[in-house]
Amino acid sequence: MLSALSAVHWLIWRDPRRRAENLLRFAEVEADGGRDLVRAAEVTRDPVLRKLFLKHALDEQRHADLFRSRGLALIRTLPRDTASGIAANWLTPGERGLDDLRVEEEGDAALLAFLHLSEASAAREFANYIAVLGADPPTRTVFENVLHDETFHMTYTRAQLDRVAPKGARRRIWMARLRRFWKAYLRLASGLAGLIGAIVLTLQYFIVLPLFAFHARRAAEKEAAGWSAVAPERNGRLDRQY
Amino acid sequence: MKILGISAHYHDSAAALVVDGLPVAAVQEERLSRRKNDAAFPLQAIEWCLEAGGIEAEDLDAVVFYERPMLKFDRILTTALRAWPQGRGAFTHAMKNSLGEKIWVRGLIQAHLGVSRKKILFTEHHQSHAAAAFLTAPTTEAAILTTDGVGEWATLTVGRGRRTPGGATAIELLREVRWPHSLGMLYSTFTAYLGFAVNEGEYKVMGLASYGAPRFAEQVRKTIRRTADGAFSLDLGYFEFHTTVARSYSQTFVDAFGPPRAAWDPIDLTTEAGQRYADIAASVQLVLEEVLIDLTAALHRETGLSDLCLGGGVALNGVANARILRESGFERLFVPPAPGDAGCALGAALYADRVHFGNPDRAFPDHPFWGPSLEAGELARIADEDGLAVETLGEAELIARTAADLAAGRILGWMDGASELGPRALGHRSILAAPHSAQTRDRLNRDIKYREEFRPFAPVVPVEQAGAYFELPPGGAGLARFMSGVFPVKPQWRSALAAVTHVDGTARLQALPREMAPRLYDLLVAYGTLTGVPVLLNTSFNLAGEPIVNRVVEGYSTFRRCGIDVLVAGSERVAKRVWTPAEAAGMEIEA
Ligand SMILES: [Fe+2]
Ligand SMILES: [Fe+2]
Ligand SMILES: [Fe+2]
Repeated sequence: MLSALSAVHWLIWRDPRRRAENLLRFAEVEADGGRDLVRAAEVTRDPVLRKLFLKHALDEQRHADLFRSRGLALIRTLPRDTASGIAANWLTPGERGLDDLRVEEEGDAALLAFLHLSEASAAREFANYIAVLGADPPTRTVFENVLHDETFHMTYTRAQLDRVAPKGARRRIWMARLRRFWKAYLRLASGLAGLIGAIVLTLQYFIVLPLFAFHARRAAEKEAAGWSAVAPERNGRLDRQY
Repeated sequence: MKILGISAHYHDSAAALVVDGLPVAAVQEERLSRRKNDAAFPLQAIEWCLEAGGIEAEDLDAVVFYERPMLKFDRILTTALRAWPQGRGAFTHAMKNSLGEKIWVRGLIQAHLGVSRKKILFTEHHQSHAAAAFLTAPTTEAAILTTDGVGEWATLTVGRGRRTPGGATAIELLREVRWPHSLGMLYSTFTAYLGFAVNEGEYKVMGLASYGAPRFAEQVRKTIRRTADGAFSLDLGYFEFHTTVARSYSQTFVDAFGPPRAAWDPIDLTTEAGQRYADIAASVQLVLEEVLIDLTAALHRETGLSDLCLGGGVALNGVANARILRESGFERLFVPPAPGDAGCALGAALYADRVHFGNPDRAFPDHPFWGPSLEAGELARIADEDGLAVETLGEAELIARTAADLAAGRILGWMDGASELGPRALGHRSILAAPHSAQTRDRLNRDIKYREEFRPFAPVVPVEQAGAYFELPPGGAGLARFMSGVFPVKPQWRSALAAVTHVDGTARLQALPREMAPRLYDLLVAYGTLTGVPVLLNTSFNLAGEPIVNRVVEGYSTFRRCGIDVLVAGSERVAKRVWTPAEAAGMEIEA
């Protein structure tokens, strides 16, 4: 299983264009995560956490810069118009930021538990990528740098969780884990629903709507270019949605 | 009468509360949710507005939504059908996107606010723009032009407004240009083509234009043709925004202008490609100006009025605005601080108040500060916890110390009173710095704003002194009170104002009347006394990708994360480090 996974990782990271695109995407995600942490720092009433969250936010911003500059450097080595491969984004999630967490609505303990798990899984992912990036030392170095910070993030969030919730730390982490599963399920489910929706709508578009389309086009052809008068009764009528 | 206005679901949602004809609160959702350009239904903004007005939702006489959602859906659906069979992507996107809460707005408002159906009203999108422009302007009779990407079907309208102090108000839209023919879409298609984010990067195109020559103007004119009646129509062969969601320009467009810029590709003006991007930006800017001048000049001839009110997102184009003021024949030009869709929340509420309910006209306070206010003592509390010394100073001392900070080259975070409605920092949530040296500008770009250097910073100057440093046409100072026009810096001042002078010698200045923001005004005067030049560099108080700061805690966290040296919030001041008097004396004033 593990070797199958690393084979997948190897495949994904082999192509330099996809590698560059992944790095640029990671840069966005890291910057996003950084903004969430800024928000966490602004919301918390705990001065120790505020300092740590701000430092953490700056780390994530630095990761964003590292990923971005490496991604750009890679892109510049590529011929201009090569088509990009099939984007396999979900196979390389990188760090997930705070996963759409509404920072304002979380207590410090819940947030720390959630952060701890996110950082741990990011650290695992990045270690996997490092293992298959032997052929690209600069990119590998970027990941090693980032991994170093992620390990720190993982550790400090756990230590702070013990401080702010000395009794319930383990329970908090389990709850955060359940929520992560639930979020992953939601992502999958809404992705699937979106796909089914798109298929049904596409069928509709081609089977049900051609007649309407024909009429819409005829109407469009008759429409004069330039000014249209605004009917006086339109001024001041506020009771209609249409 | 208590009326709540709401704009939402497209870009930058907002809420505004109008009580007895005047706003008591208005704020964009992003300032509270801290998600830039938050387009969600503005629950937090609504909640804050009601709280600020001290009322409950059931006390409202009306809730006004800024456009007609069904009519908008009709346009989106019709567009997808007209493009059959290529419109498949647009169709599925539109259906998935609109069938949720976006078209059931009445139900949504009812569900969230619990007000009765009868109280929920809808203005047309461009009526909201028109009201936001006309009813907030210090004029009683004016021509009105609104122009943006698109509302329901209209993309541009012209009309006129008349108000009698204490009496009746009339706003009449006469004609419109309809989708897909749109000046806003033309400009944002070029924005996307040049690798900037649509609805966000348009002002970068405007900034980039100054580095180029309009050698593609003839080609741009082929994409937008004038119609015999004085309006315009797009040649749809160049565009794809009406058929797909993936791309707004077509292959024909690329054949005409060359390969598009990728977002991550830096613009290097020493290369052929970089210069081509700048030339294309200059060309679309020129053609936009030409069309706007023709439209406004015709409107001036038609109405014979001396005032023009501009609304809609295109009115953020300060270069075009300045040309309209100079060349259209209108003597005064009014652009509100929030001409885009966020301002429509206020526009919709005002429109309902004056036109629908027929309430008497009231003079509109001439300032943009309708958002949340600072909490006294907040900065002291937070900074103290972090071990930073906070001083609470009397007014005179605060101004003197702050002016000295700026004269010593320090970069200042400045928070004062209620926050601005609209995209611009107009004196209450600003980063301020000495305007003299290009190094300050570069330091701001590098350590604070993390942004491309071809975007100029703006100066702020007391309105009485604006004419000494900038070449203002008649009416220019009025236009510049909300930073709505770009004007030349007088040649003899360009090097002394290097940090705020764009490559073409212009600046998007704010000419500040004292009554609008007295503390910033006093700071400018004090800075002028120290240095001889009462001008400061003024840029919005936020980092790249973040909304402008709102509460003290957000100003503080920004201060801690970037190269801002000193933060002032109300009468509280905190510095990153303490300078010894000897050091302070040794710091040269950069002039
Ligand atoms: Fe990270
Ligand atoms: Fe991290
Ligand atoms: Fe609009």
